[in-house]
Amino acid sequence: MKDQKNRHTGKEKADFSRRDFLKLSKNIAVGAGVAGILPSMIWLEDGVAAIPVSEGYLLVDTKKCQGCMSCMLACSLVHEGEENLSLARIQVVQNSFERFPVDLTISQCRQCTEPACMEACPTGALHIDTKHGNIRTINEEECIGCMECVKACPFMPGRAIYNDKKEKALKCDLCADTPYWDEPGGPGGKQACVEVCPVGAIKFTKDVPKQKGDEGYVVNLRGRSWRRLGYPRR
Amino acid sequence: MSGYAGKILRVNLTKKEITAIPTKKYEHWVGGHGMGSAIFFDLVKDKTIDGFNPANVVTLMTSPLSGTLVPAASGRTEVQGIGVQSYPIGWFTRSNFGGRFSSMLKYAGWDGVVIEGKASRPVWIDIRNDDVKIRECASLSLWGKDTWECQEIIWDYVAGEGKYGDWIKQNNSEARTTQRPAVVAIGPAGENLSRVACLIHDASSAAGQGGFGAVWGSKNLKAISVIGTGGIKIHDPQGLMAARLWQKKNYAFDLENLIERWGFQHQAPPAPIALWRGGRPKIGQRPQACLGCHSACRARYDDALGNEASCFASVFYWDAKSLDIQRTASDLINKYGLNAVEMCFGLLYIYLLNQNGVLKSSNIPKCPLDFSNYGSEEFVERFVKMVSYGDDGNGNKSQFGKDISGGFVWAAEKWGRREQDLNNGMLSFPYWGLPIHKEPRAQVYWGYATLLGDRDINEHDFDWLKHDAKIAARWGRKTMATAEEAVKIVTDKMVPYQGDMLMMDFSEKNIYSEHMAKLVSWHRYYTRFWKQSMLFCDVRWPDFLNLYAPGKIGSTGIAEPKFLKAVTGKDFSFLDGINLGRKIWNLDHAIWTLQGRHRDMVHFADIIYKRKASWDVDGKAYMPGIENGKWDYHYYARRTLDRNKFDEFKTRFYQLQGWDEASGWPKKKTLDSLGLSYVASELEANGRLGKG
Ligand code: SF4
Ligand code: SF4
Ligand code: SF4
Repeated sequence: MKDQKNRHTGKEKADFSRRDFLKLSKNIAVGAGVAGILPSMIWLEDGVAAIPVSEGYLLVDTKKCQGCMSCMLACSLVHEGEENLSLARIQVVQNSFERFPVDLTISQCRQCTEPACMEACPTGALHIDTKHGNIRTINEEECIGCMECVKACPFMPGRAIYNDKKEKALKCDLCADTPYWDEPGGPGGKQACVEVCPVGAIKFTKDVPKQKGDEGYVVNLRGRSWRRLGYPRR
Repeated sequence: MSGYAGKILRVNLTKKEITAIPTKKYEHWVGGHGMGSAIFFDLVKDKTIDGFNPANVVTLMTSPLSGTLVPAASGRTEVQGIGVQSYPIGWFTRSNFGGRFSSMLKYAGWDGVVIEGKASRPVWIDIRNDDVKIRECASLSLWGKDTWECQEIIWDYVAGEGKYGDWIKQNNSEARTTQRPAVVAIGPAGENLSRVACLIHDASSAAGQGGFGAVWGSKNLKAISVIGTGGIKIHDPQGLMAARLWQKKNYAFDLENLIERWGFQHQAPPAPIALWRGGRPKIGQRPQACLGCHSACRARYDDALGNEASCFASVFYWDAKSLDIQRTASDLINKYGLNAVEMCFGLLYIYLLNQNGVLKSSNIPKCPLDFSNYGSEEFVERFVKMVSYGDDGNGNKSQFGKDISGGFVWAAEKWGRREQDLNNGMLSFPYWGLPIHKEPRAQVYWGYATLLGDRDINEHDFDWLKHDAKIAARWGRKTMATAEEAVKIVTDKMVPYQGDMLMMDFSEKNIYSEHMAKLVSWHRYYTRFWKQSMLFCDVRWPDFLNLYAPGKIGSTGIAEPKFLKAVTGKDFSFLDGINLGRKIWNLDHAIWTLQGRHRDMVHFADIIYKRKASWDVDGKAYMPGIENGKWDYHYYARRTLDRNKFDEFKTRFYQLQGWDEASGWPKKKTLDSLGLSYVASELEANGRLGKG
């Protein structure tokens, strides 16, 4: 495993951490639904599997963001065919009266190396899509709307979200499956939020960000032109 | 009905009744202002009532584009009703604010809100998707709170057990959102019925003109809060995404290839239009945009002072002793809920009265302001409180405070000084008692349209031309285009008058011509539909001359219908929009006629005819014009308008509209041809139908 190179970056793939070795017994217990999860596992020994890391991640610059929420509108549009902030897989939350930079947060799915959401899914609907660079994604047909993933995502606000009308969970698939956008997506393609963001505050990367804390997912994207516009770069 | 929520919320405060109007009933107006005027016309039987009359109806309308990815068209809300700011009549008028209220209203399932009647006690309206409640202010002690506190209290109340920063469930269901409700509120100024009062949403999104803050106050309405977790159906999602990316690639600013252009332009990069004298503070800050906008015009700062303030909200206290005091002043007017432009020119008036020793003269009640600390924070705070509470700013009775709280022109009238001070230049409110904005002797279309309408138009469609030429002249740099080139690009887009370049000739010989009448007409129609009904933002649209675009030709004309089609599926051309704009303009004009408008009233204050501009409202107004057979930019402010020629201009304008030249009233055949026969009948019943 360890000598495998990442096909896009040429870098060595990240190690599997201890928690990547999932004890599958609890998943197996739920029966047939586990089928969806199995192909994306790499079996190491009896009942223990490793999860391959995602080949793509979103990084954000919360200090550059202009709070327009175009990313949210684009995300909901290309996936659901409607404009709905509650169905956006990236969430921008702001407070008009607050001080910069704590007036605004961007919450994107982290495509975790140890996806608690996937671990929690009892049916295997939330699985690793090996065809699309190992993104952690939901097979809508298999989702029973139990919201286990929604509850399990350890971040606030949760990055696995919920469509109350369809009673299905949703999460970022790096735009691998966008019924309302022709562009090929996923780690090898384009992401609607990245493409739409007017100021370039969201960046796609193939490198696995540091998983602990938030800093791996936050990046400074403020270049010289940003300073020319009168905004500090630091 | 893609693009629509499908229903309009109707709240009768007197009867405590909540009902819905099917949007379909008004869909032929497409959205926003057109729908608002039509609803107002239907619901207000006697159009001669005063703005404070409980029978006055206030509408807050969205457009099919609200809440969508259409750039700079998603976040604005159109407000209409009889106003209380203008003089001598509070005209049926409009205002408009940005932010996220309109979007949230649609996510909640509503295309607009119609407010009727008057509550017996102070109330606020709590909209959570389909669940709408009229709630008493008392339980949250909202009455008396400033607009920011009011919003924060409502945010917390609506969150219930939930916490912002996390998902919050709504309506006892699994529906959820991370967002704070969008709240639009009045401050103490509105509660105390100050004619200077406005509506405030978030930190500094304001429906400034018209005195709607006071109208809400008179209805005992403190705020409307809305949170929505639903979606808006889009006719062609692929088309909308493609159109947005097309706009970004070809017409929006490009950070990697930045062309530095500022202010009111489609292509301008995100930068706050903050006009503080000391410029923007050199501290941490971000641009801050309305929902869906491609280029922010506001900012938030690392001390939160002056958050989101722009334009007049930032410039209002121009003689502040420091930048921080000036930013504090911006916050003060937002918190107290005051119209920044009126406050700006109102303060100038009081300042000049003092400078000229008039304040102490017999007709004016004693002024509690201490001009020895003019420029300080204490001074401005006291002034703001005087206007808001109608007292001395310290909680004590003051006739002077009461008078200015009722509007500066109205105060001057009380003091027997209105005519005199309009004409000596101290009271810069030259049309309908409204503050000057652009120099009407140079940018004549702005002044004409304001007079022929109901309010300072505040439509910057051609304003960049002047700014560009002004900056070029001042800093010795090149304009974006030669005058001739710019005029060609602009007028080529002005269907059905395209190609008539004389529409933009501001030379003396042309400013009363039928070409100028066409410019004013086109501008009325474009803004009435594309801006005020479709709610394309005045700061970022239209896209006329664009340095990123091939041949510098911006996207206006192509972009607007393209976006509308993607969202709604309607095959509705740019010209269709101009024509519907004409119909809306006629409907509005019919309402003004019913209110008492006659052509004889349509005049500037005498000073505009008698005195050359002695100073320029916003810098030197260079406008395109033909002199000696050649196009160039010229400085035209140092002239007067000719009263008789302006009267002849009105005749030309009325002819072009198909209105009666003698009275300025609409004619039956014009209204019939526009599908407004019912409007003609009401005019006839009131003896106000034009002849012929
Ligand atoms: S599109 Fe970009 S600027 Fe707008 S909210 Fe999203 S990240 Fe921020
Ligand atoms: S939904 Fe949450 S747990 Fe799952 S991959 Fe995204 S961030 Fe990680
Ligand atoms: S990458 Fe695609 S799915 Fe993920 S947040 Fe962005 S738009 Fe949504």
